[in-house]
Amino acid sequence: MNGQNKRARRRTLAGPAAPLDRVLALASPYNSSLLLLIVFLIVIAIGRFVIRDLHTTNVEAQKMYAGSVLGLHRIGELQYQAQETRRSTFYALTTSNSNLQLEYADQSREADHRVNEGISEYLLQARMPNEIEVGKRLQRDWSEYLSVRNEVLASILEGITNEAVTLDLKGGAPAFERVRQDLEEIKRLYDEQASQQLANVAATSRRSIFRLIGVLGITLALASASVWAIQRSKMLGAIQLAKLQMEFVASVSHELRTPLAVISSAADNIADGLVGGKDQLKRYGSAIQNQCRQITELVNQILLFASTKDRKYRYTLRPLQVSQIIDSVLDSTAELVQEIGFVIERRIESGLPCVMGDLSALSQCLQNLIVNAVKYSGESRWIGIRAFVHDSEERSSKEIRITVQDRGMGIDRLEMPHIFEPFYRGAAVTAAQIHGTGLGLSLAKSIAEAMGGTLSVVSELAVGSIFTLHLPIVEKQESEMASVTSKPDPSIRK
Amino acid sequence: MRRLAGLLFILASAAFSLAALSLGPAPNSRLLPRPQIASEQNLAVVVNLSNPVENLSMPELRRIFLGERSHWPNGRRITLVMMEPGQPERAVVLRDICQMNETDFNNHFLHGVFTGEVLVSPKTLATPVGVRKFVFNVPGAIGYLRVSDLDPTVKAVRIDERGPEDKGYRLHVPPRTAK
Repeated sequence: MNGQNKRARRRTLAGPAAPLDRVLALASPYNSSLLLLIVFLIVIAIGRFVIRDLHTTNVEAQKMYAGSVLGLHRIGELQYQAQETRRSTFYALTTSNSNLQLEYADQSREADHRVNEGISEYLLQARMPNEIEVGKRLQRDWSEYLSVRNEVLASILEGITNEAVTLDLKGGAPAFERVRQDLEEIKRLYDEQASQQLANVAATSRRSIFRLIGVLGITLALASASVWAIQRSKMLGAIQLAKLQMEFVASVSHELRTPLAVISSAADNIADGLVGGKDQLKRYGSAIQNQCRQITELVNQILLFASTKDRKYRYTLRPLQVSQIIDSVLDSTAELVQEIGFVIERRIESGLPCVMGDLSALSQCLQNLIVNAVKYSGESRWIGIRAFVHDSEERSSKEIRITVQDRGMGIDRLEMPHIFEPFYRGAAVTAAQIHGTGLGLSLAKSIAEAMGGTLSVVSELAVGSIFTLHLPIVEKQESEMASVTSKPDPSIRK
Repeated sequence: MRRLAGLLFILASAAFSLAALSLGPAPNSRLLPRPQIASEQNLAVVVNLSNPVENLSMPELRRIFLGERSHWPNGRRITLVMMEPGQPERAVVLRDICQMNETDFNNHFLHGVFTGEVLVSPKTLATPVGVRKFVFNVPGAIGYLRVSDLDPTVKAVRIDERGPEDKGYRLHVPPRTAK
């Protein structure tokens, strides 16, 4: 979709349109990629919730594994090592060989060392008050059992087995039972935590699923809406383009009909023998000539516009004196200006540097500005042309500015953004039945930009307008080189 | 026939006693400290870490090793740990502390247990590691180890106010022979 159509569609804002179509018309200058990008961003924004949920689920699962599953495993290990401590002590009772008894004593001590490590680790990781409490109780009970176990071991090693058995029955068994209960309590706590965390994981998973479904649904809805909007936007564009084309054809037809009517009328009078005398015939011939020139100019302008839009037109750039350009324009418009009694005030600073450009194109550009000034000046019949050097607002260097000023009807502030659009004609201009194709300013702007410059406007209703052509100054060396060779350099052809 | 058997028993006992006497020097000569040979190590007498005893005199040590003293000052029962016969450490203890040979030592405990004068006979362990572990596990245990076999799990007591590292310490054991 080219820029012409996009801009044309933007103008539908002026006419009556449904609110949705207005929104679509606003979005239509941008391609569908932007729409898809917006959809993509929305989906990503919602998708972040899903990703966060998945992350939370993952973290919960890891916490469950680290906190509960591993915890249960550790408690199982603790229970086993505690049993091993007691079992090894009993094994020492089954032999009278002191060396073997010592081996069992070693095994018992190794196991109790592992139990102590496990309890310390549990206490390090315990966060809840009940966990800490039961951990400390286990530590205390285990310590009490170990002191009894040491006495039992000593008695066994001393060979007093009766005493060992008695000690174990009196102190060891109850102490170990307390340890066993403590371990069961810890296991129960881990079970509770695991259940709670499992419930959390399940809840988070459910939420993730709902959100995922939501994201998919929203994505589907947005994608459908986007497709619909793109199609609708294309359709509106096509309708508007067709409308503009019709308006353009009507406008051009109107522009052609007036000179054709004059030519036809003159031809009829000549054919009917109503024109007598050489002078009268000469005047009729001149009128037909003028009208033909107008038609030719109109057709040329349309063709020029079409060629610039197709980027087929090539300019021959060379250093030009500003006065040379202005003189050329004034020559070509002199007849028109004199015919309708306009005064052109020409002020050109002396010693202006050269500008790089195509003489014919720049003349066309300024001519369009002058013709517009003539058309829209109303009763003032004054046009001012100035040329001067000024600091460039866009570049750090200086530039040449050529202004075409009129004291006519001016341009409405709301219409200012559209006046350089092709085929655009203001409401006031249309109402005033001022003829035109809506191509002049668009063409002038294209030419200015092709010369590396710009075209700007300052206007006030009922006060007048100033159109300014900004052109970059040619470097001195370039200017000198250009003046040495008369042949245009192909490298500077655009 | 009975007379003949009694005569044979008397003769055998006399021969055994003579043989036993011929294995070592006279008891009186063992009362004096034997000078240490350069290659010898000191032999530490060790007790459980919980045992408050820090110092023992040689006569006290002899009474303990002969089972004549049954309890420590803290009330704990004394358990004597000996290494197996044939070990140089055991020989040093028998010679320098008990002032007996192997037979006399065995007979002493057989007689003591039989008469009830000794409550518990010594525990016999094969290795210094076993002795160390036993002393570590039994609060009332007492045993002996080469200084090189000591570690923080047991406590070496001073003998006549001299520790195993001190000059003039009385118990020395010949170096281990490579097997």
